[in-house]
Amino acid sequence: MIGGTGMSEYASKDAAAALDRMQRLSSTVRDGARWYVWYQLVYGCASAVLVLSIGLLERPYGVAIGSGLWCAAIAGLSVYAARQRVARRGFGRRHGFMIALWGLLYGAVLAPGTMWFPGNLAWWVPGALVVALPGLIGAYLEARR
Amino acid sequence: MTDPHHGAPSQHGAHPRHALDEVMHAPVRFSIVATLAAAEKAEFAFVRDTVEVSDSVLSRQVATLEKAGYVAVTKGYVGKRPRTWLALTPAGRTTFAAHCQALREIAGNGG
Repeated sequence: MIGGTGMSEYASKDAAAALDRMQRLSSTVRDGARWYVWYQLVYGCASAVLVLSIGLLERPYGVAIGSGLWCAAIAGLSVYAARQRVARRGFGRRHGFMIALWGLLYGAVLAPGTMWFPGNLAWWVPGALVVALPGLIGAYLEARR
Repeated sequence: MTDPHHGAPSQHGAHPRHALDEVMHAPVRFSIVATLAAAEKAEFAFVRDTVEVSDSVLSRQVATLEKAGYVAVTKGYVGKRPRTWLALTPAGRTTFAAHCQALREIAGNGG
């Protein structure tokens, strides 16, 4: 029983103390889950590098360099995520949405770019930024929560 | 009294304390559930450090919450290291929300 009182004697101060404790524990979880800000930030930046490498470097070197860096980044991020001790409520849903949106944008930039704009800075630089946006915006929103 | 699995008052218009869940009412169990309520899942050691209890106390309280259907326990490995993950079940979330609502009403009523 809280504060040495029974359920029948549960006072408003006990309830307020319990609610206050809940807030402090939620705050601890929030701090523990901040790793996902960095995860999304690195994901966004790595995907921009991947797009720039594929679009601007000569084939097949661009694809090879971009893919190599991308695989290294994803492997590192996966290990980093697996070692974390807590994930915030709604993490799975938010992460799934971020990856799905990234996939759509990646396809929308890469497919026309490789066909019609190879090596064209005016396509690939804004394209890289667009592909990085899900990660960057996700990191910003996560940091604000 | 309260149905411990639903936290609903047995009498309409009764004091909000009757809506408190008996299983979650215990301070350590309340802290465990409050921690898990903010998380999708949390490692056993994270909950232990956050709630500031020993492994054995946490194990015992988690077993009670698991028996009540409020907490799900999953075991796995990260590399070669065994890990235990804790998460609130949908029933646990619903009951915790009702429990917190009762606490707010009690706090607001001034006892």
